[in-house]
Amino acid sequence: MQRLYVGGLSHTITQKDLKDRFGKFGQVEDVELRTRKDDEGVPYKTFSYININITDADLKKCMTVLNKSKWKGGTLQIEMAKESFLHSKAGVENFTMKAAVPGTEVPGHEDWVVSKFGRVLPVLQLKCQKGSRARTLKYDPSKYSHNIRKLDRPSADQSASDLPTPVSQLTWELQGGDDDISKKRRGEFPAYEPPKRKKSQTDAVNSLKAEGKPRLKQSVDSVALTEAPQVTNGHKPPSTVRPAQMKGPPLTLSDIDSDDEIHRIVAVQSSSHNALQQEEDEDKLEVVGLDYLVTPGRARQQQKGGDEEENDYDSADTDELLASRKPPPPRSSSPPPQERATLTAGNISGNNTDRKRKTKKKSKAGEEDSTDAEEPSAQKRRDAGKLSSRKQSKKMKVLPVVKPSSSESESDDEEEEEECESADSSSDSDYEAMFSNVTRLEISLADLQKLAEEFQDTSETTAPSSLSVSEQKTKPPKKGTTPEEILAALMEDDSSEEKEEQQPKKKKKKRKADATTQLLPAFKGTKALNEGSETEEGQKEEEEGEGTEVKKLKVDHKATSSKMNGQKHTETESSEDEEEEPKKKEAVVKNMAEKAESVSSSSSDEEEEEEEEDEEDEEDNKGKVFKTMAKKAQKGSSSSSDEDEEEEEVPKANQTVLTSKAAAASSSSSSSEEDKDEILPAKDAVKAAPPPAPHSESSSSEEEEEEEKQAPLRVPLGAKEEEERQRKANIRRLAAVQQRQKETEENKKLIQGALANLDAPAAGAGKHIVFGSDDDDDEEADSDDEQQTTSEIKTPKKTLFQDSQSENEAPGHKNTSTKEKLSGTHLFGSSEEEEDADEEEDGSRFDIRPEFEGRAGHKLMELQSRFGKDERFKMDSRFLEQNEDKEAESEKKKSGTEEEEALEEERKKSLSILQSVLGISQHTSSSSKATSKAKTFRDVSALHYDPSREEHAAFETKTEETKKESKAARRKKREEAQKLPEVSTEIYYDVSGDMKAVFAEKEEASGFKFSFFGDDAETGSGETAEYKIESIQAPKLQQADRGSQLRQEYRKKHKDARRKLKTSVKS
Amino acid sequence: MRPLTEEETKVMFEKLSKYIGDNIKLLVDRPDGSYCFRLHNERVYYMSEKILKLATNISRDKLVSVGTCFGKFTKSIKFRLHITALDFLAPYAKFKVWVKPGQEQSFLYGNHVLKSGLGRITENTMQYQGVVVYSMTDVPLGFGVAAKTTQECRRVDPMSIVVFHQADVGEFIRNEDTLT
Repeated sequence: MQRLYVGGLSHTITQKDLKDRFGKFGQVEDVELRTRKDDEGVPYKTFSYININITDADLKKCMTVLNKSKWKGGTLQIEMAKESFLHSKAGVENFTMKAAVPGTEVPGHEDWVVSKFGRVLPVLQLKCQKGSRARTLKYDPSKYSHNIRKLDRPSADQSASDLPTPVSQLTWELQGGDDDISKKRRGEFPAYEPPKRKKSQTDAVNSLKAEGKPRLKQSVDSVALTEAPQVTNGHKPPSTVRPAQMKGPPLTLSDIDSDDEIHRIVAVQSSSHNALQQEEDEDKLEVVGLDYLVTPGRARQQQKGGDEEENDYDSADTDELLASRKPPPPRSSSPPPQERATLTAGNISGNNTDRKRKTKKKSKAGEEDSTDAEEPSAQKRRDAGKLSSRKQSKKMKVLPVVKPSSSESESDDEEEEEECESADSSSDSDYEAMFSNVTRLEISLADLQKLAEEFQDTSETTAPSSLSVSEQKTKPPKKGTTPEEILAALMEDDSSEEKEEQQPKKKKKKRKADATTQLLPAFKGTKALNEGSETEEGQKEEEEGEGTEVKKLKVDHKATSSKMNGQKHTETESSEDEEEEPKKKEAVVKNMAEKAESVSSSSSDEEEEEEEEDEEDEEDNKGKVFKTMAKKAQKGSSSSSDEDEEEEEVPKANQTVLTSKAAAASSSSSSSEEDKDEILPAKDAVKAAPPPAPHSESSSSEEEEEEEKQAPLRVPLGAKEEEERQRKANIRRLAAVQQRQKETEENKKLIQGALANLDAPAAGAGKHIVFGSDDDDDEEADSDDEQQTTSEIKTPKKTLFQDSQSENEAPGHKNTSTKEKLSGTHLFGSSEEEEDADEEEDGSRFDIRPEFEGRAGHKLMELQSRFGKDERFKMDSRFLEQNEDKEAESEKKKSGTEEEEALEEERKKSLSILQSVLGISQHTSSSSKATSKAKTFRDVSALHYDPSREEHAAFETKTEETKKESKAARRKKREEAQKLPEVSTEIYYDVSGDMKAVFAEKEEASGFKFSFFGDDAETGSGETAEYKIESIQAPKLQQADRGSQLRQEYRKKHKDARRKLKTSVKS
Repeated sequence: MRPLTEEETKVMFEKLSKYIGDNIKLLVDRPDGSYCFRLHNERVYYMSEKILKLATNISRDKLVSVGTCFGKFTKSIKFRLHITALDFLAPYAKFKVWVKPGQEQSFLYGNHVLKSGLGRITENTMQYQGVVVYSMTDVPLGFGVAAKTTQECRRVDPMSIVVFHQADVGEFIRNEDTLT
């Protein structure tokens, strides 16, 4: 069958014509005639489609015959018909039918309809099993293409329970691991834990741990539940934690059409879970009254609370977050006493940069993981250290727990240790509690930087050590920077191994003795710290502060007297020394400390020495040698004779390793290997070490110290290289020590002499010497600043010395040190005395002389200074012009008052303008200034009535008098009011009808001038009398009469009118 | 530097009164000393009498800024408040708007406050009323003009502007060179 298009037909043609015409060629099945008409209905085009059964030959024949033939006034045009619109343009391609309205059936396919977006979808016949009867349900997707609800519309017979669950309550299951995020997606949130008090830290931790397992269990259970088969198209109904959602009947999820929808729903629900509260907050628009008070503090507290809550959630993951968030406590350093010294170093390093902190934290975390199996105590300490570091890093947030002052924590080490251990719980709330007890280091970045700088400088100067440092730099900041890490290193061999890798030289030592290996990490830390802080703007104060802290720590350690403690003390000391040495200008304080060490014989140091001795005993009695070595090194004696000792010392100095450790290392090693390795560092150590001797010599002059330092350094270096045996070394050392002593004595003498010279002129000449004394003062001030020790200082040097003595362990060298001590003490003592005297004099010098006191005195001073204190032009008080001053003052006052007046006027003006602007009356205006000045804070509640003061008369209540008066006044008023006659507004005119009389009277009056007054007065009085009488009574009568008259007249008129009307009607 | 003329004072007070109403009185009539407004380089400075005296020692052409700059007069004698006046507007402001933390930054970059970022608003705020914008932590961020009344703010869609931006503390950085 062919479908032909026949065009060019005449408008009058009919189907029959066409049928007949084409019937010749084949059987015409159908003719479709179409006519196109224009707007006016006039056909302009007619064509037809003809379905015809025709053979190809006949078709050809037909085309040739009929095509372009004229028929009934038209030229036929026969073509094969194109496919119909539906077929051609709305064809189904890849299950989409474009340009088709949703709902159109796909031709040729039953039960397929075009749906949304031209998709061709099947019409579903769903079988619905409801109770006993089954029914089919036809689902035409095109009819639901624009809305979601299509199935299970609640019908009358359905019970409420059968109602479909709304989309928002649909349940689902998310498959995923046990990690936090997937849990949260499933709607499982860790139980909220309110922040615990610090005393219950351990409990909290336990509870946390305990809760962790159940949570896991829950999730497992839920998974199991979900496995229970439910209907659904591939989606299992979730076992949600919240039973409320489960209440809805299990859905036949057929109504969830696509994955998209499901995803959407899931997203909605998850968001609703996670941000439930958030949404609420967001949706609410808070409207606040006019009296709403803005209090910045409150909001912050709220935030704080929120943060805490957040923190309380998964503790493990949020630790770092917390670290980044929380502000570092001003002072942090609670760790056990052993760690303190290292901790200080760690803190310093930690403060260098935020980045460093982060890296450190990461490294810490890593360390924790690796060292989980290690001793619990070590972990605890580490945790504590972490906490401290974190707190430091968190400057932004204020910790909720009140932090006690740093002094508290420093006092008792043992307690802190316990706390730290208890605090090993990783929960953040515990951290806060812990740290409340912990002292915090307040070290600025600048300080840290400076420290680092100094350290770097020292390390750089020592070529060999710098190399090692550089090697170590690769990992440096992370390890050993914080006290915990150092501890960990000490405690753990594993960590030490890593460190060994970094530091090849140190590996050897480690192999020999564990202690040495442990020491290494600490060294790394310090180095790392130094390296990390590259900026050169160091502050001496910090270092000094550290030193003092270390000293305190040492004292504490004495009490504990544990090996570890002792070792750490020594380490810290050595590190301090190293740090201090580089800073030559800070020198005074540092020198003092060093001196103390060198002098070590001071009574305060004895205890420390004892500790050291204990340690040494334990360390195979080699510690003694070591002690001597350490002392020498610190003193800068530069005893290069003993290789072992030197070697040990060197590592100490460079690495800030414990001297005790070094001793242990030497004892354990005592071999040539160490010597080789250590020679290089030894040089460094020697360089670092020298300062103490110079310090002792020239406490006052920094330059001298520097020179001396340099000198000793050279000597030891040479000695080291030459000598290999201990004996020789010892001998040389002794010799060197003696030499040192001599030198120091000489220096002392020199200084004393110089000081004496200084003193003499100063005392005599008076003001000329002030400059010298000023210098001293400056030094003092500097030293004071540096030390931060505060109060103790009378004379700077003295205080320094005392501090160092009392606080420093100062390796208790028994043999050589004592002599030095004596000499040192003597030296200092003498200098101190002298200086004291000087200072007193200086102080008196600075007192203002009586003639220079006051304003006049100031002027006099200026006058004198004008002539450069030339004796010839000495000005005294006579030259002062008193009057000028007064005049000037008065002028000033005048100008001031004028200005004030101008300002006052301006203010008034502006107030008036303001008044006009606001349209409100400002009553304050004029009195403003006086009142404002008079305005002082008055506590109304504290106001008491004082009858003796006239001002307070205002507070007395005089109610009775006023009442009486008022009553009397009222009565009077009433009486008056009653007495007042009622005066009619109408005027009484007595008009006589006879005008003659009036004129006659006038004429009479004019005629009788003489008697005019008398007559007039008489007549007037008579008239007034008459008037009065009448005015009181007559007018009323008149009015009443008039009213009655008017009424009567009105009635009469009315009656008349009626009568007239009646009469007119009748007529 | 000279005192404001009557006209200038009026213009400035009218502007100020949009934000702090009759609290201007507290600025003019202060119990803790006498303060005054001074015009310098088309800018209005608010300073205490002491500073005013000190400032007299500096020549006019060398003087960059004295006291607190409240704003400047345009060539057409209109007054434009600067962000530096926020310190004095915030405590006395009658009408306030609190911005949610999410939109704090947007506001501080000079954008208007949208309904979605509106956390809190003073009741009975009229349209085109000057408002001080706070963060939810009650830190004043700037000021602007209410584009909608409080009642309208409840209804409008989230993306509609609620407060027109006028000045924000971000200008301390953005306009650092022109702020005096």
